[in-house]
Amino acid sequence: MPEHASRKLSLPVLLLYIVAFSLAIICIVPILWMVVTSLKPEGSVIGEIGRRFLPPFTFENYQYIFESAPIVRWTMNSLFVSMVVPILSLINASLAAYALSKINFSYKKIVFWVILSGMMLPGEATIVSLYMVANGLDILDSYYALILPALAGPLGVVIIRQFYDGIPNELVDAAKIDGCGLFKTWWNIFLPLSKPVMAALFIFSFLGTWNDFLWPFLSIQTEELYTLPIGIPFFMSSYNQDETLPMTVNAYASVPIIIVFIFFQKYIVKGITFTGIKG
Amino acid sequence: MNKAPQNQRRKGNHNGVAAIFLTPYFAFFIVFSIVPIFYGLYVSFHKWTLAGKQGFAGLDNYLYAIKDPDFWASLGHTGYFVLLSTPLLILVPFALSLILDAKLKGRTFLRTVYFMPNILSVAVISFVWIFILRSDGLLNTLLREIGILGQEQELFWLDEPKLAWISLVLITTWWTQGFNMIMFLTGLQDIPTDQYEAATIDGANAWKRLVYITLPAMRQLLILITVLTVIASSKVFGQVFLVTKGGPANETRTIIQYIYETGFRSNELGLSTAMSFMFFVMLIVLSFLQFKFFNRKSDQGE
Repeated sequence: MPEHASRKLSLPVLLLYIVAFSLAIICIVPILWMVVTSLKPEGSVIGEIGRRFLPPFTFENYQYIFESAPIVRWTMNSLFVSMVVPILSLINASLAAYALSKINFSYKKIVFWVILSGMMLPGEATIVSLYMVANGLDILDSYYALILPALAGPLGVVIIRQFYDGIPNELVDAAKIDGCGLFKTWWNIFLPLSKPVMAALFIFSFLGTWNDFLWPFLSIQTEELYTLPIGIPFFMSSYNQDETLPMTVNAYASVPIIIVFIFFQKYIVKGITFTGIKG
Repeated sequence: MNKAPQNQRRKGNHNGVAAIFLTPYFAFFIVFSIVPIFYGLYVSFHKWTLAGKQGFAGLDNYLYAIKDPDFWASLGHTGYFVLLSTPLLILVPFALSLILDAKLKGRTFLRTVYFMPNILSVAVISFVWIFILRSDGLLNTLLREIGILGQEQELFWLDEPKLAWISLVLITTWWTQGFNMIMFLTGLQDIPTDQYEAATIDGANAWKRLVYITLPAMRQLLILITVLTVIASSKVFGQVFLVTKGGPANETRTIIQYIYETGFRSNELGLSTAMSFMFFVMLIVLSFLQFKFFNRKSDQGE
């Protein structure tokens, strides 16, 4: 007990607290700045910094961006794509992972090796040829462009396979005796068991799709098909001098995912752990 | 089949069923991951514009790229960014993970806040920082208020090459360090606490515990994260493209931006894919290190 008390009061511990919370301020001030600026009357200048964080606040910037750009449409696009991509890619990935983990077939090792090397492929370096392939398939400037290429990522397959490997083969045999085919076994046993992994991968894929910039920026021309991230620069060029409107669009695109993050942090942390260490 | 190991006694090969399970994923993997590589290679041997193929070019595109000073300059900028950002992207998240592992009060709050920038889109962070860093922005105003800059002084964070690099590296560190931090934190939490307790009884102070217990235990993870970070930083594009647009005077233009501009602005898709392919090979070599490490790691895990 005395050990504990002295630890609380000691100078190094106090310093550690000061450092820890100062760093927290550095991390969060740009985000807070974005949010408070979005709540300031249009055309506000900086003046005294402290004043920015005090009232008067107004929502008229939000009203303005809704009136001047199809931002509702962009939000729906972002939401739609960010839901569809994780759902489809998790179904596909878990099916493939099941085959790789529990079904015997020829050249299994090679097939897995190909997927694993897929993780090394630097997508950014082949983005021009991806554009040309998408052009050849005639899917540019459509929802297909936003969704289909995103289903090619191998990370999900590798992680889910690892998880399935941990499920005993006896479970498959037992299900077989009970008359379950392979597909039913996957659906009734493996999918429910892998919920934690799937949840982590889902959130991860959702955030990644919501935030993606380079590919939507290249592949989408029609304004109605914009996702929020590529809508932001569009806004910037039109209102260059004023800080409040661009910050409003930024805040609008970020607040939903900040909320998702705060509620589902646990899964995001797990997702990172999978990619880095357990992957 | 002809080897027929014992573990196949229960079942033979189920190629048909396996194909059904594998096809939905593999169709996309092949079309959007594998085909672009070979198609890009094919295009790179031709003169090719947005209008289509203009004729065979042999190695011309590659020879042109090798002689193009802008290609090497952009590669150099990317390399420079990797050199500047990697140490920060290791040290900062490592320090933060040590803070989080110190069992302070409010550490859940701290973890949330340290990680939060990481979940924002590159478009968002870029435009937030453009406004913070512009000449009459938050940072200069703050520096004037606390007296580091004189009342009439201002720093051109985005318009002066050296400052622009510093800005880009700091923005990137602020934005992406959270990912590495979580990986480090997981590693720290895997170190058995009795090792620390034993060392403390033996009179080791915090510094000695860090050097003799924490660092050796984290060696593998440190290597892995360094490799991952170098590869991720080599692919830097979005924040530079949006914040400085490669400027001033192309001084911060990265290789991915140059490939993009060659293809879509200069309409030289053949040349652009040739550059892509050269960069691709460089990254594969880099990634190979990661792959070897990764393989060893997962063998241990199983």
